[in-house]
Amino acid sequence: MLAIDGVSFRYRETGPAALDAVSLDVPAGAVYGLLGPNGAGKTTLISLLAGLLAPRGGTITLDGRPLAEARAANRRAIALVPQDYAFYPMLTAGENLRFFAGVLGLQGGEARRQVDAAITFARLEQVVGQRAEQLSGGLRRRLNLAIGLLGKPQLLLLDEPTVGVDPQSRRFLLDAIAGLPAAGTTVIYTSHYMEEVEAICQRIAIIDHGRVLAEGALADLLASPRPQLDIELDGPLPAELAERYAASAQGNCKFRLFLPSTAALAGLLDQLAAAGCGVRQLSLGRHDLEQLFMQLTSRSLRD
Amino acid sequence: MTRLHALWLKESIALLRDRHGLLALFIMPTVFILVMTMALRDAFSPGASIDAAYVVVDLDRSPHSAALLKRLDQGVSFRRLAPPADPQAARQGIADGRQVLALILPQGFGERLLAPAGADGQPTAPLQLFTDPALSPALQLAFRNQVMAALGAVRADELSQRAGLLFGLPVKPGAAVQRDWPDEIVSLAVGKAGSLRPPSSVQQNVPAWLIFAMFFVVIPVSAIFIIERQQGTLQRLRAMGLPFHLVLAGKLLPFFVVNQLQAVLMVLVGIFLVPLFGSEALELPGSLPLLLNAWAVAAAVSLAAVAFALLVASLARTAEQATVIGGVGNILMGAIGGIMVPKFVMPAAMQQLAAWSPMAWGLEGFHIVMLRHGGFADILPSLARLLAFAAAALLLAVWLNHRSLAAR
Repeated sequence: MLAIDGVSFRYRETGPAALDAVSLDVPAGAVYGLLGPNGAGKTTLISLLAGLLAPRGGTITLDGRPLAEARAANRRAIALVPQDYAFYPMLTAGENLRFFAGVLGLQGGEARRQVDAAITFARLEQVVGQRAEQLSGGLRRRLNLAIGLLGKPQLLLLDEPTVGVDPQSRRFLLDAIAGLPAAGTTVIYTSHYMEEVEAICQRIAIIDHGRVLAEGALADLLASPRPQLDIELDGPLPAELAERYAASAQGNCKFRLFLPSTAALAGLLDQLAAAGCGVRQLSLGRHDLEQLFMQLTSRSLRD
Repeated sequence: MTRLHALWLKESIALLRDRHGLLALFIMPTVFILVMTMALRDAFSPGASIDAAYVVVDLDRSPHSAALLKRLDQGVSFRRLAPPADPQAARQGIADGRQVLALILPQGFGERLLAPAGADGQPTAPLQLFTDPALSPALQLAFRNQVMAALGAVRADELSQRAGLLFGLPVKPGAAVQRDWPDEIVSLAVGKAGSLRPPSSVQQNVPAWLIFAMFFVVIPVSAIFIIERQQGTLQRLRAMGLPFHLVLAGKLLPFFVVNQLQAVLMVLVGIFLVPLFGSEALELPGSLPLLLNAWAVAAAVSLAAVAFALLVASLARTAEQATVIGGVGNILMGAIGGIMVPKFVMPAAMQQLAAWSPMAWGLEGFHIVMLRHGGFADILPSLARLLAFAAAALLLAVWLNHRSLAAR
């Protein structure tokens, strides 16, 4: 659906590259995660896709058409939900939605239908008449998202859409976003929160210093060639087993072991039982995103 | 059209909920017009009473000194108080602040009215004038001139009385010493449609403070614009494919309408409210072409004001900065543009400086229409300057916004 091919961008001619030959392929009907620390180039890429910046090199196409042409043909094809609360605090939630519907060129019955659908989607019925400045952080995020959906976009760009919200609102937002592809909207989702990306994204790209470090299906990226076992015991790991499975202590009777194959797990559990070690918890076979990111960049995603 | 309509509606709702903005746009100029019209009422009325009191100590008590007092009382510029007992009491009255001037008429004043000092070998005692040192030199000079004029008139009366028959002048036996001469001067300002009275303070103040108030759209315009920029709303509007010129057009019309409402309100204040406070009512030009010319000036001032507001909003990073740049800018333009202090009381150098203030161009336009009843050709220079200023400010605002977006 969206193909980004060798896209580069610099804010100043002589400055460092904010994006350096970035190539991505975003399939239709998915939630695509863009992961990277601050300054990695995520917002620059989102700005290029939203038409706020023009690439200095490379091409971006939407359904095979150059992005500018696709945007000119249908202004509502791509919608941006910025990280900021990009609406009017002195207007009510309903007035904000009607205003942005008007900016999108929606009129009469169509405008009313789209505003009502956005209100229902973001569950804003109870606060339609309240000024935006009086809404809680979670409700503001929901309003921000609802405005993005007014034009029924093909592609929705979400820039850190859950920053500063309570856990309940976050859960609601994540569920709502995860359901968008089923309604025909492809989502590009940027976030610092790896749990969120793991929870709702089918494909991801990890970006740092303007370059794509890894890209693909989430399951493929998190699968390890050599199964990794995270295990918590009720006592110390016997030295012989620690050496055999290249174990590293993770603190508090928690260890990370590398198995030759997943079939070796049964043997390991027998050996632990024979040594009198009880197993409290174990997890086999996947990195998490934090580990993957550290492995790729040698630094934490939150740095 | 749907998009522009949405933008206009949004600006209107936002403005209606901005209490400070409404206060600055509608209440502040109303108060200014009332206060300044009261304060400057006499400054615009030649011959009107100046609140400066004087006393006359008449040591002569002759018909001639009484005639001089009567002549002085005809001038309404200064207020004469009851006479003190002697010159010492008059001095004390000045020291105590009861009056600022005291004129002492010496003994023998009437007797020697037509005898210049030394003309007959006898000295002539001069009239003495005690003054409060804090009194402005201009008022001292004005009072001296008034006394000299009254003195001249009394001498002329006396001369015509004594020598009238000799020169064949009409003299009635036993006539009063003081007579009515055709010496009243009535000021008439020259206008297009015949002779007009000079401007009153309400005619100066209504257009002046209307212009000042129109330029205060800078407060609500920049408040909304800065919120849009800081919160990323402008970016979102761009991402929705809204061109920047539509964003500007969305702001120009609502605030243009606000400016026209201000004009209507200020004119109504001048016509109906000001007379309740003892000043004369504002007089609008009587013909439709003149009214249209007045509206053309109001429209040009409005475009200049909204464009200036958009420029300030583009320059300022925060609402506080906009308030300072816009507020101080307006006060400076008002101060040098003849809004706060009428241009005609300024020194020549300051009057030249006033030519650089857009507010002065607007005021000049209103004065041409309202006081001199000038035609469209007469207000064209003012309109051209205001529109050129509006275009330059708008272009600069657009350029600043493009530059700032490119740097993001």
